[in-house]
Amino acid sequence: MGISTLSEWTGQIHELVIGAGRGEGGTRSHSVRVGGERDLPYIGTPPSGHMPLVAYEIADDPALWPAAATRAVGDIADDTGAWAAYAEKECRPDLVRLSLTSTRRRGFSELSGIQQTVEAVLQATGLPLIIEGSNDPGIDSEVFLKIGEAAEGERVLLGIAEAGRYRSVAAAAMAYGHAVIAQSPIDINLAKQLNILLREIGLPPDRIAIDPYTGALGYGFEYSYSVMERIRTAALKGDTDLAMPMICSAPDSLTVKEVREAEGADADRIAVAWEYHTLLPATFAGAAIVSVRHPATVPLLKRAIASFWGGTGSGGA
Amino acid sequence: MPTVTFLPTFRKIDVSQGSTILEAAQKAGFHLNVVCGGQGKCGKCRVLVKSGNVLFDREQYSTVFSDEELAEGACLSCQARVIENIRVLIPEATIVQEQQILIDMEDIPTDLNPAVWKYALELSPPSLDDPSPDLTRLLWGIEKRGGPREGSIYAPLEVIRQIPRVLRESGWKITATVALVPGGYRLIHVEKGNTATHIYGAAVDLGTTTVVVYIRNLLDGSIAGVGSSYNHQISCGEDILSRVTFARSGGLSRLQSLAAESINVALTTAANAAGIDRDDIYEVVVAGNTIMTHILMGIDPAYMIEEPYVPVVRRYLTAAAPRVGLSVGENSGLFIFPAVSDFIGGDIIADILASGMAGSEDISLLIDIGTNFEVVLGNQDWMFSCAGAAGPALEGGEVLFGMRANPGAIEQVSLDFGTLTPSYKTIRDQKPKGLCGSGLIDLLAELLKACIIDRTGRINTAIVHERIRMGRQVPEFVVAWREETAIDRDIVITENDIKALIMSKASVLAACQTLMNQAGIGRGEITRIYFSGAFGTYINKDHAIMIGLIPEVPVHQVIGIGNGAIAGANIALLNRKKKRLLDEIARKIAYIELNADPSFMDEYTRSCFLPHTDLSLFPGVEEMLEECRMRRVST
Repeated sequence: MGISTLSEWTGQIHELVIGAGRGEGGTRSHSVRVGGERDLPYIGTPPSGHMPLVAYEIADDPALWPAAATRAVGDIADDTGAWAAYAEKECRPDLVRLSLTSTRRRGFSELSGIQQTVEAVLQATGLPLIIEGSNDPGIDSEVFLKIGEAAEGERVLLGIAEAGRYRSVAAAAMAYGHAVIAQSPIDINLAKQLNILLREIGLPPDRIAIDPYTGALGYGFEYSYSVMERIRTAALKGDTDLAMPMICSAPDSLTVKEVREAEGADADRIAVAWEYHTLLPATFAGAAIVSVRHPATVPLLKRAIASFWGGTGSGGA
Repeated sequence: MPTVTFLPTFRKIDVSQGSTILEAAQKAGFHLNVVCGGQGKCGKCRVLVKSGNVLFDREQYSTVFSDEELAEGACLSCQARVIENIRVLIPEATIVQEQQILIDMEDIPTDLNPAVWKYALELSPPSLDDPSPDLTRLLWGIEKRGGPREGSIYAPLEVIRQIPRVLRESGWKITATVALVPGGYRLIHVEKGNTATHIYGAAVDLGTTTVVVYIRNLLDGSIAGVGSSYNHQISCGEDILSRVTFARSGGLSRLQSLAAESINVALTTAANAAGIDRDDIYEVVVAGNTIMTHILMGIDPAYMIEEPYVPVVRRYLTAAAPRVGLSVGENSGLFIFPAVSDFIGGDIIADILASGMAGSEDISLLIDIGTNFEVVLGNQDWMFSCAGAAGPALEGGEVLFGMRANPGAIEQVSLDFGTLTPSYKTIRDQKPKGLCGSGLIDLLAELLKACIIDRTGRINTAIVHERIRMGRQVPEFVVAWREETAIDRDIVITENDIKALIMSKASVLAACQTLMNQAGIGRGEITRIYFSGAFGTYINKDHAIMIGLIPEVPVHQVIGIGNGAIAGANIALLNRKKKRLLDEIARKIAYIELNADPSFMDEYTRSCFLPHTDLSLFPGVEEMLEECRMRRVST
């Protein structure tokens, strides 16, 4: 079974490596690879490239995190290191994504705190890391240099670069050997433009993950889906400026009205369902990494992806 | 009623309580810059209130003015309302300047086949033996001189009334003027004596901003005189939509008479300079955009700007020129170029005629950038056209130090890539006051080459240089230091200016790409790109390609045809056979409504990049930019 589409396309998605083990200058227990595909997801036999991975997101300032996500982990959320350890042991994701939400607070200046947080997370888990920093051009430069430095050699995926503020992230990534999440607002052309900008300041294409921006299911997801399809198809047709693996998080999934207003036992069930039903289809459109905030979503997504992959996946090792 | 005193002239005017300063200024006869038509958006109508109070929301416009300016009493004349006696200083920059009007055109040779003839006749007086009527006698005379057959000439009543007196008072020596109009031959004038050499026609370009008139001698085709004027409708709003809005609110007849007045001013200048009596002008040919020609003819343009955007007429129009208020001979004909759609008007048909693209197998792209832009792609067999709003940035609007191409405007800029020091040239070599369109295009290209801005137009603030700094809200680049300028302020280009320019250039390029996609034409198949209009004449063509204003073709294939509208009007005036082509051209053009084309927005986003998101469409530019980057890295 399976539909061969290989003859139509000449392009291949770049392979992106996240995480560096002891032998490579880092401290991760292993590294992961994504990308490498030559066709659309799940249709090749055997599938080309690597199986999509699932990241679990934690935050250093849980007050700025969706209630549905913090409720599920309880007090652990107050200790970022402990949360990271919990993530690895209890949720078993492929990657941990640390969101430095503390930098979003007005008048943020705790640069040394960032370094401590990153070091604590590196200590607490051996999984490869995605780290999301500030989103304020006024502090970006210092914040990203600090993250980059604290995680030097660990080959983390650093975010988020946007067209209006990509220089600081890219500079830190280039200086300390990390990769970059390039986010654009649901538009194939804007995605391509940002990748060109990153290329022109010297970031190699195999150190970029495209974040097409993912709307939550029922709140614009279908728009993201069609843009992702277009990005992937353009890459397969040979557009090298779009031939990067895609990463999707659905930050709004846990704050949509239906999840916010759900009560009792339903609350968790709906939260997990919303993430699951948003991000599983994202892999159909070509996402190489999907990241979620509810711990219970992680095993569900991993199982579903593996079954679609046909049990032949080699990602994660 | 409060009195407004305008400085420095001390002109006084009484206005009703609550009038705007702009209304007072217009009443006093000042033509102020109102790019936005008085909506408080463009910031170009600034005045200084020197004494007295006005109602003006200083908070709301705090970004338009600096604190010092507000302290000096700066406000927008269209928003400030008069509540008591005030004294208002109108800065020089606020008054509509004498424009640098593009009157130059490519004088394209054409056969001389005018539609008006003069016959100097010496008729034998009637007698009992030869009792044929005056008119028959006159028309026979014309036929004998090789003119049209007697029976084929129509004589209107007002001319017939003149005939008996003119014939007898002149001793039967007269000059008759015959015109070929859509109904056939028409006797339009009879005068005493031999005036056969006094036969002229006028070609008119009626633009939204400016009016240009050429007077041609219809005996030999020579240019007798040239005149120009700004369009007096400017005091009713600068862009075309604000004019239509003005017409809607009962202002059509005012706009109509202002249009005629503007043509008359230019006509008088041209006629006086050439020593010609305006009564000897027997035909007027007008090329103008659809709205302008509708307004000139007194046809309500209001429905054209609403869906589904249909003009009232698509064929050429004729009338007696004095009926619309033109001061030329009393039965002189008026010929108005046909329009295709609301935005592809007679001016574009004139461009096409002047470029010759409708008579060639080769595929050409014609671009006319003015207040709006129009693009035509095609050849003798087919044509696609579209139009859109490029925004005013390319003409200096919505740019902090943008200005029209008036004296003191920086029109050329180059950068020393080592020191990042700009050198510039201003119009008439005056101290700089601002940047006009061609200067802005140069600047954009040079900033890109110097890697000061990236392809989205963002200034790289990581470069440590005195000219690169944080402005009031966004980063900016200093083009001229305060001491060099005539305005006592640093002239800068801000990141917002650059964004506005990129959005403007993107809509032009996206329009070109959309037509090319529709026709299935690649850039390699385009033999020529014609640039019509002032903008196309003065811009650096290499830079226009570098920033992706137009598709990349070898630069020698980009041809400026100057004022194509006036060139086309001249051709039609001299050669009536070309007039017949016009309706054919107008019918041949398929109009693509960009708003209705789903691929246009995609093309637009792709074009919001320097030069374009698909770098393979600009291979020459890419090679050049690559060199620039290498040089930058190595320094």
